[in-house]
Amino acid sequence: MSKTVKIVVWLVVIIVVVAVGTSLSRKSGDTGTGPIKIGFIGPLTGDAANVGQNSKASVSIAVEEINAAGGINDRQLEVIYEDGQCNGKTASNAANKLINVDKVPVILGGACSGETSAFTGASEQAKVVTLSYCSSVPTITEAGDYIFRDYPSDLYQGKFGAEYAYNTLGKKKVAILYVKSDWGVGIEKVFVDSFKALGGEIVAEEGYEQTSRDLRSQLTKIKATKPDLVYFLGYSDASIPGLKQAAELKLDVPMLGGDAWDDSKIFTEAGQAAEGIMFAVVNSPLNEEFKTKMEEKVGSDEITVCSPNAYDATKILAEVIGKVGTDSTKIKDELYKVSYTGGVSSDKIEFDSNGDLVGANYVVKVVRGGKSEAVK
Amino acid sequence: MNIVPQLIINSLIAGSIYSLVALGFNLIYGATRFFNLAHGIMAASGGYVVFFGVKTLGWNLYISIILSVFVVGCIGYLLDRFIYKPLRRKKSSNMVMLVASLGVFSTIQALLAILFSTQFHSLRAISPEQTFNLFGGIITQTQIIIILVSLISTISLHLFLSRTRFGKAVKAVSDDEEVSRIVGINTDRIIGATFFIGSSIAALAGILVGLDTGIEPTIGMSLLLKGVVAAIIGGIGNIFGGTLGAFLLGFVENFSVWKISSDWKEAITFTLLVSFLIFRPQGLMNKRK
Repeated sequence: MSKTVKIVVWLVVIIVVVAVGTSLSRKSGDTGTGPIKIGFIGPLTGDAANVGQNSKASVSIAVEEINAAGGINDRQLEVIYEDGQCNGKTASNAANKLINVDKVPVILGGACSGETSAFTGASEQAKVVTLSYCSSVPTITEAGDYIFRDYPSDLYQGKFGAEYAYNTLGKKKVAILYVKSDWGVGIEKVFVDSFKALGGEIVAEEGYEQTSRDLRSQLTKIKATKPDLVYFLGYSDASIPGLKQAAELKLDVPMLGGDAWDDSKIFTEAGQAAEGIMFAVVNSPLNEEFKTKMEEKVGSDEITVCSPNAYDATKILAEVIGKVGTDSTKIKDELYKVSYTGGVSSDKIEFDSNGDLVGANYVVKVVRGGKSEAVK
Repeated sequence: MNIVPQLIINSLIAGSIYSLVALGFNLIYGATRFFNLAHGIMAASGGYVVFFGVKTLGWNLYISIILSVFVVGCIGYLLDRFIYKPLRRKKSSNMVMLVASLGVFSTIQALLAILFSTQFHSLRAISPEQTFNLFGGIITQTQIIIILVSLISTISLHLFLSRTRFGKAVKAVSDDEEVSRIVGINTDRIIGATFFIGSSIAALAGILVGLDTGIEPTIGMSLLLKGVVAAIIGGIGNIFGGTLGAFLLGFVENFSVWKISSDWKEAITFTLLVSFLIFRPQGLMNKRK
């Protein structure tokens, strides 16, 4: 065989392989009768694992309910769970797998803002609908046409925190300790702007790396500025040692935190140091049925932040897919028209033209005796 | 309020922990001349053995600590016996040894994550700790213990190396392993022993961090990095150099945040490392070669 013939043969082989490959992979995307697959990304391990696992449980409850009721147009709903570890790199790999290998039309997730921000570019480009149930960083508003969330933007949370500290608690001098993640930096900025606009004074702004567990120097600096209140934005794994260190350094000022503190691990592990801490979370109209099912699933009465949002997001997606099928563009168009009521995360879920949840309703909780309760 | 006393205390606590890591690291480096990255995961393992003993088996904390130091020492010894020793026999380069130790590091870290989950755990009971006032700064009981353990370990290791035949043998092996073997030193036994002692000290560091703040599988890498930076600053392979480097690092880290934003704490560590590598690569205590 001459060299040219060899090359031609190889070229033909490559073309055939590629052609067959792509046609096969297109088919496997949606067979029309098999289960409908959607992706899930959340921190199943790592910094916010409790939130991720709890959300996974609530999603699986939603899926069981949908499938028990006959599935979506007689097709079962199946969720592929991927671990985003609350970090961008892992979440991005997970999203690439869901988009390119599993070819899902929709990704439910991620949870941490850093997770979602890392892959919205890829999913927007691949025209895969992304519905985050927990990401709150303001920049996701502008992330693209296919990007939605049923969790309110930090613009609301930061502003609410500032107003609560200034108006309700009457604190005029606030120090901020925040994790340098998309979530922490996002809220911190809004809080500072809103608090200053109200006439308050920010006496310290101290950031720390997400992996840092030694916050002593930051806390020492904060203590020296004599604040009336510390606004502490941290995930569970840094908040536990952080709260202990604050107690050890005798930083005896009230602490107000973000929604990430809605995690019972903080109250049990930090013990006495977590007594009296306050945090703002989205007010979720949980119903008894959901509470009972969660208790059966996770073995405790814990429902973390975002878990109800993940449940509602699954229900909304099932409804939308039932209406328009698995084409992601159609799902996207339909999501903008959704008006979902009777959910467990919010009285009414609607998306604005940016795919953001319309409106937000917060409640402040305080830790007493190792349990959180709403402040009246 | 004057924050200097508190900053000094914070620096001493951080320095003591770094010093414990650097101590074992330097000991092993001195004998083998390779960067044993697995040293970091020995510290994490120390914390987890105690966690397992106290939380799962319900043992007494002190018994668990003693056992943990011994168990991790054995792990260090076994790693040398089954991984590093065969590599030495094959005359593997230090780069190969380094990569092998990185492999050990990742494997054990993954194992810890599988066995104990990647979540953050505290070794201490949740009751608030007794604190002491020291010149206007505050220090807890555990933190005093950290500083004492670090000092005692450094001094006893120094005495052990300078006053015993074992110490002389380590020095000989460190100078030239082959010649030492020719003159009749059982080099494998000496190196095995340094692995045992070095890993035990690393375990102590991990346990103390676990008691003070808490443990998670990834704690090994951050401890290792700080320990290695301390060792390099102080003079690699030099026992007192490591301690000096550790405290210098602790002080620079904690005092720099006094004037500039604490966001830069990690960056400062590595700025210090880079400046030393450029201007004084042999470290504080070693003589220029």
